[in-house]
Amino acid sequence: MNSTRFLLSSIGQKLLLATSGTIMFLLFLIPHMGGNVLFLFGPDLFNSYAHHLHKLVPIVIGIEILMLASISVHMIIAAKTTWANRKAASSRYSQKGSRERSLAARLMPWSGGMIFAFIIIHLANFKFYEKSKTMLDGHEVYDVYGMVLSRFQGDLWYVGVYIFFMIAVGLHLSHALQSALQTYGVYVPRSGSKIKAASMWIAIGMASTFAIIPIIAYLK
Amino acid sequence: MADKKINLTLNVWRQQAGQEGAFETYKAENIDTNASFLEMLDVVNENLTCSGKEPIAFEHDCREGICGSCGALVAGMTHGSHDRTTLCQLHMRSFEDGDELTIEPFRADAFPVIKDLIVDRSALDEIVASGGYVSVKTGSAPEASTIPIEKNFADSAMDAAACIGCGACVAACPNGAAMLFTSAKVSQFALLPQGAPERASRVKEMVDTMDKLGFGNCSNEYECAVACPKGIDVKHIARLNREFIASRTRKKK
Repeated sequence: MNSTRFLLSSIGQKLLLATSGTIMFLLFLIPHMGGNVLFLFGPDLFNSYAHHLHKLVPIVIGIEILMLASISVHMIIAAKTTWANRKAASSRYSQKGSRERSLAARLMPWSGGMIFAFIIIHLANFKFYEKSKTMLDGHEVYDVYGMVLSRFQGDLWYVGVYIFFMIAVGLHLSHALQSALQTYGVYVPRSGSKIKAASMWIAIGMASTFAIIPIIAYLK
Repeated sequence: MADKKINLTLNVWRQQAGQEGAFETYKAENIDTNASFLEMLDVVNENLTCSGKEPIAFEHDCREGICGSCGALVAGMTHGSHDRTTLCQLHMRSFEDGDELTIEPFRADAFPVIKDLIVDRSALDEIVASGGYVSVKTGSAPEASTIPIEKNFADSAMDAAACIGCGACVAACPNGAAMLFTSAKVSQFALLPQGAPERASRVKEMVDTMDKLGFGNCSNEYECAVACPKGIDVKHIARLNREFIASRTRKKK
């Protein structure tokens, strides 16, 4: 079995999904959350963080390329397997009960699609958006803090949209984290699993942390 | 046991090979609650035969839950909704008088309907034939304790070997995947020294065959393990994944 056949086998595709997802989780989602938390500590710290991040441009671009590759692999494999699964289980039962699959598992293709839509909205809102400048320690820096404030202040609808998408992120993560481990061969038991519980709490924790930024910005 | 009789309404899938199927409704009357589900179908079939109609075709053999022949979806659940029960071991005391039950064959792209509730599960045999065996010298049986095996491993291999190949895992899987079945057939050898020589080629060949036969992909939703009448656990799927990854680094044939 050569590498291509290995990776395009059913388990190989699971490994590709798990790996591209894990890369996005570890190298993008966690650092992004860490950066966002700094928003809660006021304009100076947040703008300084953004300023320093800009100095790391080669690394940032490297990670951006890696993210683009990961999201492409993730979406192509997900679409391919979802399509194949629908076909393998097509025209099935008039009545089908389920006793085990979670809501999060059931909604994976939908929450995944929503996250992709959100990434586009979010990039348009903040990355490819004209930023004003402000002074920090005698340097002129981008006022990223002010941009976040102006986006959410007085716009409850936008706050709602962000919270809605963060629910999708939470749902996706709660199945994804434990599922990835099972794919790598770490036994994740059916019931009473600490890994499943941890997966759910990390998902809830991260989605709430992300969701709290627009709420705080709105209230400021 | 007290003799109790119940009446049921059955919506049964009727289909001839190569033709479109449809549900037909039958009455199952005066059914003894001590009867098994298959015995209840026997009664219905006797009445159908007496009235000149074609009886409902369903597969069965041992009727004691060990052969893996029987199986159908009853009210949306493979083998009915009891844990660790085959259809023949599901008893009519599990139902109430007046219940209306939908009975459908185990469906998957890889399981074409032969007739009514009978599906062709030879795809599972093909997976086994592609590597689910050990090559041994024939002749007299070797001394049992020649190869020492730690009890935990022997127990776990035995748990995997409990699979009767009924196909409920495939039928219950939202993706029509055969991962639980294949993982059990790989695990029962991967855990034992007798399975070591063909360890890498076995998992590669079996996964390859599974993929080619039109089964879906596993998404770790664990419906299979709940459906399994033999309680095969998803730890075997984790092992299958490990074996598959490790097969890349193990010696080539």
